[in-house]
Amino acid sequence: MIAGVNRFLVPRFPAVNERARTVEAVAAGVSAAGASALARTARAGTGVAVDGLRVRFGAREVVHGVTVGFHAHRVTALIGPTGCGKTTVLRALNRLHDGRPGVHISGSVRIGDEEVYDPRADVRDLRRRIGMLFQRPNPFPLSIRENIALAARIHGLWSRQDAAERTEAILREVGLWEAVRDRLGQAPFLLSGGQQQLLCLARALAVEPDVLLLDEPTSSLDPGTTARIEELISALRDKMTIIIVTHNLQQARRVADEVCLLLDGEVVEQAPADRFFQAPADERSRAYVDGRVG
Amino acid sequence: MRTSLRGARDAIFWTLCAGALLLVVAPALAIIGSLLQQAWPVLTLHLLTTTTAVDGLQNALLGTLVLCVGILVLAGPIGIAAGVYLAEFGPPARSSWLRLGSETLAGIPSIVVGYVAYLVLDEELHWGYSLLAGILALSAIVLPYIVKTTEVALRQVPTTLREGAAALGLPRHTTLRRVLLPPAIPGIASGLVVALAISVGETAPLLYTVGFSDNNPTPYLFQHPLGYLTYVVFLNATLPTRQEHQVAAAAGVMIVLILIVLIAAGRLIARRAARHAARMAN
Repeated sequence: MIAGVNRFLVPRFPAVNERARTVEAVAAGVSAAGASALARTARAGTGVAVDGLRVRFGAREVVHGVTVGFHAHRVTALIGPTGCGKTTVLRALNRLHDGRPGVHISGSVRIGDEEVYDPRADVRDLRRRIGMLFQRPNPFPLSIRENIALAARIHGLWSRQDAAERTEAILREVGLWEAVRDRLGQAPFLLSGGQQQLLCLARALAVEPDVLLLDEPTSSLDPGTTARIEELISALRDKMTIIIVTHNLQQARRVADEVCLLLDGEVVEQAPADRFFQAPADERSRAYVDGRVG
Repeated sequence: MRTSLRGARDAIFWTLCAGALLLVVAPALAIIGSLLQQAWPVLTLHLLTTTTAVDGLQNALLGTLVLCVGILVLAGPIGIAAGVYLAEFGPPARSSWLRLGSETLAGIPSIVVGYVAYLVLDEELHWGYSLLAGILALSAIVLPYIVKTTEVALRQVPTTLREGAAALGLPRHTTLRRVLLPPAIPGIASGLVVALAISVGETAPLLYTVGFSDNNPTPYLFQHPLGYLTYVVFLNATLPTRQEHQVAAAAGVMIVLILIVLIAAGRLIARRAARHAARMAN
């Protein structure tokens, strides 16, 4: 399995490759327990590779052959003006376009060594591994407790016995525990928008994803919660691959390790964030960063 | 000058509105008023303790309620399931055929439904006058309403909830049961209320299918006719004595009372739905 990941990741992801090499070195002659621990490490280092992705809504193609790599343990910001296709690309990663009439997708999306658009792929398991936070909070019409535990229980990650304990741990992680500890049985709709979004993040984290997709997650939130979510993004990087769509360049500067600029459904430039903001290689990137387009 | 003209226009507009309201409310009040006036002498407990064999309505009231329960048990689940299919699972092409079928069914006059049910169920299948034939005929009439309201209620659930559930890898049946149905329940329930209101007021399909009986309802589904309130209104109005007319009016009063209870229930549910929608919006 490690070899498979390695073979796949070598050409595209130098950063992951380095990690995989350490894994391999340690793996030389280890016990079974060690091997499973390593498998976990390897899984935690899951990158996402998009190759020649095209998305068409009816006759209108909005994503024209996007090729981009999202490195493990890094935060990649997908930026670009409204309508450039960044959300469409993001939603293609966890097959959220599936079943919508008139949507045609071609190209390849790989998470780790698994092809997302393989017809034999287990879509539900893929989606468990690829968590998502939406533009506006969308808590379920269930109690706060059930919002968090529902998917984790259904995927068999939590048992009835440890659900309470793990719910508390997750809520503490996102910083919501103190606010909701006395009303876990209540509906989430009386929470503030920011608290609801944190609840949705907790819900996504409960199913232990390898990749986290964030679709302008703070666009409807107050500055305080925005700061809180950005802190969490930075902290979560150790555990997973993070891809954030944002049209807020300041936010991209604050949270991203890597930036990918999309214009009119095409990748203009992908580069480490420092370099992208200081010295963009492409003239169009320069124009966008300077605020001359978009 | 301009202002007074505008004032006059406003006044005319509001007068017309008030007139229209009166035109709607007045007939309703007139009908209820004259029913009560006519039924007044016989509106006693006696109505509830004796059957139409004497001069009460016990069997008819119970029969109407039994029919309502039958509709809830049979048409309810089938209609809700069909609505869920149309809203959540059906491929667009197949759904549009199903929808067309459902809407056509809604347009068929109830007496035609009753006659066909009589030919097929009572005659061809030898069920005779029977409760089940009546429930089936009424179901055919009210199903389209249940299907439609269920479909609409589910479609009104925000897409973001579906996407949120899909993104977590929840199975579709769990998404439906735990995420989509709870906010749709008030809408579905109001569809059931409408279905019941129609059932309570129908006469034609029942004349053909369940016949009429002066006895209280039996547990038998086949070969046993059943009493119901609308038949009493229909028949007693043609009978000679004053007292029979009064009982017809009393049956009318009971129908109206049941309708008021149903409408109140519907209002209550709708208000809950509105509150829920307001919560979901923020």
